[in-house]
Amino acid sequence: MVGVSEILNTVQMGLAYMVIALPLTLSYRVTQVINFVHIIFITLGAYTVALLGLVGLTNVWIAMGAAFLLGGALAVLDNVAVFEPLWRRGSDVLIIMVASLGLWIFYKYLIYAVLDKLFIVLRTNTLSVLVHTEGFPSVSLGGITIDGYLIDTVVASVIVSLALYLILMRTRIGKAIRAIADNQVLAEISGIPRGRVLNFMWFLSGGIAAVGGVLWALFQTTVTPEIGDQIILQVFSIAVIGGLYSLTKTAIGAFIVSGTENIVIAVLHDAFGLPLSFRPFLVFLVLLVVILIWPPLGAGGGLPYRFRVRHRSRR
Amino acid sequence: MESIIGFLISWLPIFAIYGILSISLNLEIGYTGMANFGKVAFYAIGAYLSAALTISVMLSLVGKNVPLYSIEAVQALSTEGTGALYTHPAALVGLFVLSLVLAFLVAGAVGYLITYPTLRVGPAFLGITVLAFGEMFRVFMRNYEPLGSTKGLFGLNNPFVWLGNSLLSQGLFALVALGLLLAVYVYAERFVNSPLGRTLRAIKDDEVAALCLGKHVPRVKATVFFIASGMAGVAGVLWTFYQGSVQPDTFVPILTFYVWAMVILGGMGNNLGALLGAAVFTLVDRALTFAAGMMGPSLIIPPNYLRWMIVGLVIVLVLMFRPEGIKPARPIKTPAWEAVKEEVGKDG
Repeated sequence: MVGVSEILNTVQMGLAYMVIALPLTLSYRVTQVINFVHIIFITLGAYTVALLGLVGLTNVWIAMGAAFLLGGALAVLDNVAVFEPLWRRGSDVLIIMVASLGLWIFYKYLIYAVLDKLFIVLRTNTLSVLVHTEGFPSVSLGGITIDGYLIDTVVASVIVSLALYLILMRTRIGKAIRAIADNQVLAEISGIPRGRVLNFMWFLSGGIAAVGGVLWALFQTTVTPEIGDQIILQVFSIAVIGGLYSLTKTAIGAFIVSGTENIVIAVLHDAFGLPLSFRPFLVFLVLLVVILIWPPLGAGGGLPYRFRVRHRSRR
Repeated sequence: MESIIGFLISWLPIFAIYGILSISLNLEIGYTGMANFGKVAFYAIGAYLSAALTISVMLSLVGKNVPLYSIEAVQALSTEGTGALYTHPAALVGLFVLSLVLAFLVAGAVGYLITYPTLRVGPAFLGITVLAFGEMFRVFMRNYEPLGSTKGLFGLNNPFVWLGNSLLSQGLFALVALGLLLAVYVYAERFVNSPLGRTLRAIKDDEVAALCLGKHVPRVKATVFFIASGMAGVAGVLWTFYQGSVQPDTFVPILTFYVWAMVILGGMGNNLGALLGAAVFTLVDRALTFAAGMMGPSLIIPPNYLRWMIVGLVIVLVLMFRPEGIKPARPIKTPAWEAVKEEVGKDG
């Protein structure tokens, strides 16, 4: 039965997905690299809020700020240490993507190893932590209880997307980022300091993704080291729906995927008895349908095959 | 001597499995430039296909009508002396061979089909769609009751288990696996040095140029995907018969990147390098397991985490400092090249 809880879940999940997927699209548009370390930003954000709660710092806004700084720092570190040297040597974007993949695997098991030791110190038995944090209180509206975490999610995602919009559209550095996304060589010739602007962009996208991780932890309420990996499929599907090009379409994609995962599955469950565990299946179907309907997508990077439709002019 | 044979028997099949996987990935990424992030899907298809086929046919041979994953099925199959694996040796070997053929065809066909929606988009999309496909297959298997859902299928053994002597049967299996690896290697070498292999390199270097020269790029790519996916299916069959069981959670996406690390370390675009990478990683894995057994919990980083951290670091460091790998790609061996050299030499 599609009830109020499904709709509220769709909203909360969709907003969290949006905050996670927006920076992925942003960083892809600027650098043409699909960054697999994105998954680590999510895990990092989720553990930031969980561990801060564990040591008694239960303010969700402080957690988000800390997650933003940590995620941003990690992203800048990756860029300076790995992506930038590879790019300067003239590596293919595919190679940079595979390098980000290696980084993802390395960080993931580094997190495992660190938590393993940390939790011996903290005397907990498992690697999973229950999120314990405080933001807005829960509100009761006409018999419907709206969870405090949902209100936090709404406020945080509105702040993040508004800030991202303002930075990209109203500031000098935002203009520089857009210039690099459109044409790197031309941007550099015009005197835009590519390295510094890219570092800023990575800081922004890593930080926002980590904030998204906090929101995702609020939705899941339990944090495990696999929390980021569990939603790779969904996040990449969202980014593909956005064509890895348009931030607005990415936001729409977030709600399409979260609607599929909550409302569509509930309807199918009622009508045909489809098990609820088939969620990822539906997401994959959405991904395939999107790829089949709009073959080259926004940023397909495909080739002039005969079935490729003529591209609308870029902006 | 005993211990060396024991080591070889347990290591060779694993080496053969990963060798086949890395050669097949090398065909895709090293020679054609297609990023396949979902190799594990085709590996899993081969493994599940062979397990389901063998167990169901063996059960019907002994007249048992029980679910494939039940304890009764395991007992009917693998009880020493009276189990189906021991009483029907010819059927077991026949099913092993049949699984190899079928797995090649089915995994290849699935690979061929999946290229239809994905090859028209860029390389990154291909990789991510296949990655999603692999995850989807795993999730499906986790929830699919007739094939044992999360527990998977049990009760198989290597196809020569009826010989009675475990050293002999395992040794024979190791030799068969090595033979398959050799066949795959020779085939891959001949394939990439053929005219079609030259087309592959052309596509890798410049797709547009290859298109303009009249090569049907999507069809060539789909062909390579068929062959490479089929090879992964064969590796999956070997895994089923080596392990004696299949579980859905063996086939996590990270397994694909394990194979990627082998290819990158060995050298993209060199089959011998892919084999070398597979040997290095499987040996390191053995050494880590051995060290963990020796040192126990005093090891600072648990070996399972250390193994994957090494995999990740190797990918990053090799790409940064030696992108061509241990064995760089070589020019293609072709009679035309010899003719050209002769011609040039003649003119002085």
